[in-house]
Amino acid sequence: MVAQSKQSNLAAIRGNVPKAESDQHAGFLARGIRQWWPYYAMMAPGIIFFVLFHYLPIWESKIAFEQLRIIPPNLWVGLKHFQLLFASPVFWQVLLNTLIISGMKMAFVFPVPIIVALMLNEVRSGSLRKFIQSAVYLPHFLSWVVIAGVFIAALSPSDGVVNDITGMFGAAPKSFMTDTGAIRWVLVYSEMWRSAGWDSLLYLAAIIAIDQALYDAAEMDGANRWQKIWHVTIPGIVPTIATLFILNAGIFLSADLNQVINFTNDVVRTQIDIVDTYVYRIGLQTGEYSLATAAGLFKAVLGMVLILMAHLFSKRLTGKGVW
Amino acid sequence: MLMKKLLLASTALAFAIAPAFADPVVIRMVSKDLVSTNPPDVAHIERIEAAMKAKGHDIDIQIVDLPSSGYADALSVMLLGGDIPDLIYFQGGDAKMVEQGILEDLTPWIEKEPNLKAALYPHNVQRLANYPYLLYVYPPRMPQPVIRKDWLEKTGLPAPQTVDDYVALFKAIKDGDLDGDGVANTYGVTTADNTNELDAIFNQAFGVKASWMQNEAGEWVNSRITTQEKAKIAFYASLREQGLFDPEYITSKFDVKEDKFYTGRAAVIFGSSAEVIDIYGGKMRQVHPDTELVLLAPPKGPGGQGNQAIDVSKEARGFAMSALSEHKEDVMALLDFMASPEGQLMDRLGFEGSEYTKSGDTYTMTDKISTWYARFFAAANWTPPTPWMSTASQAALKQVTDNFVADNAFVFPADYAADLDATESVYRAWVYKFISGDAGMDQWDAYVAEWNAAGGTRLNEYARTVLK
Repeated sequence: MVAQSKQSNLAAIRGNVPKAESDQHAGFLARGIRQWWPYYAMMAPGIIFFVLFHYLPIWESKIAFEQLRIIPPNLWVGLKHFQLLFASPVFWQVLLNTLIISGMKMAFVFPVPIIVALMLNEVRSGSLRKFIQSAVYLPHFLSWVVIAGVFIAALSPSDGVVNDITGMFGAAPKSFMTDTGAIRWVLVYSEMWRSAGWDSLLYLAAIIAIDQALYDAAEMDGANRWQKIWHVTIPGIVPTIATLFILNAGIFLSADLNQVINFTNDVVRTQIDIVDTYVYRIGLQTGEYSLATAAGLFKAVLGMVLILMAHLFSKRLTGKGVW
Repeated sequence: MLMKKLLLASTALAFAIAPAFADPVVIRMVSKDLVSTNPPDVAHIERIEAAMKAKGHDIDIQIVDLPSSGYADALSVMLLGGDIPDLIYFQGGDAKMVEQGILEDLTPWIEKEPNLKAALYPHNVQRLANYPYLLYVYPPRMPQPVIRKDWLEKTGLPAPQTVDDYVALFKAIKDGDLDGDGVANTYGVTTADNTNELDAIFNQAFGVKASWMQNEAGEWVNSRITTQEKAKIAFYASLREQGLFDPEYITSKFDVKEDKFYTGRAAVIFGSSAEVIDIYGGKMRQVHPDTELVLLAPPKGPGGQGNQAIDVSKEARGFAMSALSEHKEDVMALLDFMASPEGQLMDRLGFEGSEYTKSGDTYTMTDKISTWYARFFAAANWTPPTPWMSTASQAALKQVTDNFVADNAFVFPADYAADLDATESVYRAWVYKFISGDAGMDQWDAYVAEWNAAGGTRLNEYARTVLK
């Protein structure tokens, strides 16, 4: 064994021993960084952001298994916080609310940007198209505080525009913001209004990237506009749809803390209290960081499972997944 | 021998003169609306340091900057991260710190500070006895109703003294079209988020004397399931039904509530403190010059009269001292100075030449006084040389002090947090249902059953072990 090691050292000195694979990789990386350093420099802020705010917290999520102490050390409590969480009827209610609201958003909000992109692509007048694009992008730049104000005013039973319109058809005024049956739909529509235009950008970019020759060929085959959309445009953006679907599945359980906080009130709280608001309340407002981290960790694990499921589903359906 | 004597003498001299050249004691302080980027804050802190140094107490107050927006959350993150200043202003979240042994019991410390001890209000004394970690030397905070003086005069009615008077006033406002827009669309009263503000004046009127009351069987129960509470909620529902109480209170935040007041959509709103009433008055004058506000009194009703009983189980906000601080004497000296006449003059009146001018013993307030606020205390035993608050604001201070009644609320153990949260949600949701007409008052028993099932039974049982 010793003799073999000596031989190997000698061979290394002579320089005729192939380098380990990891050394080769390191070499490639170093050369790559030297060659493309301006691009790596541009990537650096993003990488630092993800390391600081996404990867380090993964390690710190260990406090879900500890009793956090301001004066260290933390005390190891194992699964105590998960047991507390799963024994709480409130947690199961907020989890159910999250699943319902996220499911509604996935079903009703996710397809809208695709439809908006398809419709915008069909607008022939350049100026009209620009005007529509600006109009539908605008809500994306408004904060949820402003959007909630707009919706509360628009849905007011006394002088809101929605009740004014329904009133013209003889309907009695309805307080949508305090109606436990309507409030989840208010969340869905407000999300749709805010994000449909902006999210359509990616689909528009994918549509623009479709080879024009395909449209020309379809035209020569006598396809009308609808057939071109159905047989050329939609198949052309399926990979983008699949990718965004999987990414959306990953944040499926993030039903938007800011939105819910701004739309909630005493009457509908039990209908729209979600995991994120629960974590915020328990963690930041009452200082139960460990319990809140347990809830957040549980949500993250479910999110990972959903990504995997969406990936496999997409692979089977379209042949394309995240990897 | 000579060398030894010289060495001893020089050492003694060094010890003698050392204090004169010692660095000031550093006190780290975190408070809401006190930041090192705001020049008036910095100037105020510097003159406090100078005044204390003149008294032989050399301290260096270092401000720990936290944003005003989301202050309680940011503070909680900072403290749980292990950064614990010597003096900490809490706006909630303090109980967790007490649980971890981070906050000092202030009782023995206050005993040693004459100015601070004399500056306490009666409710401060009771709260400190129950929870000796927070200090908030201000008059009790209680929402109090105000109305435009010219509107009250237009109704031709005197200021209301009874529950019926209030109803008559609200009706006169609704029917009188006081804002002159040709539509009878002005509500008599509006609130923000919930009915807490109405409770401030109507609880006593309907016999809701305290948070915990004894039922017919003599058992302690939460007041929210009593017949007195039922009568009060039925009254609120009748106000809404007659169009006198704004039904959209539940979706109104404080800014929307204020906006309704200034634009004439509501005639009566509640100010949470004397200072806030002054702010309302100032904003109202920007829209309607020469308008004054009038404070309204809590009405006499079937159950009595007075302001809602004030929770003395603990301060909801205030200053705490870190149990880990190495400069506790200095922190307390600072607090005692701020409670002294000299400290109060600085903290309450601002700067000479800016917030006030002085000629001999005469103080004259400038317009800037409206934007100045005390960073520490409003001592009970200090009287300003010249009152600068409005008549309504001064009346509010007097009213809340004269009507002070201590509540019997107490702090529940952490195990009851889920019950408290759930019963609160049930109460709030049902109150709106009753007021909006979605539920009739004949469904009161259904509400009580749901409240009990949500954890109310456990709360009542625990209360009976505390209240005898």
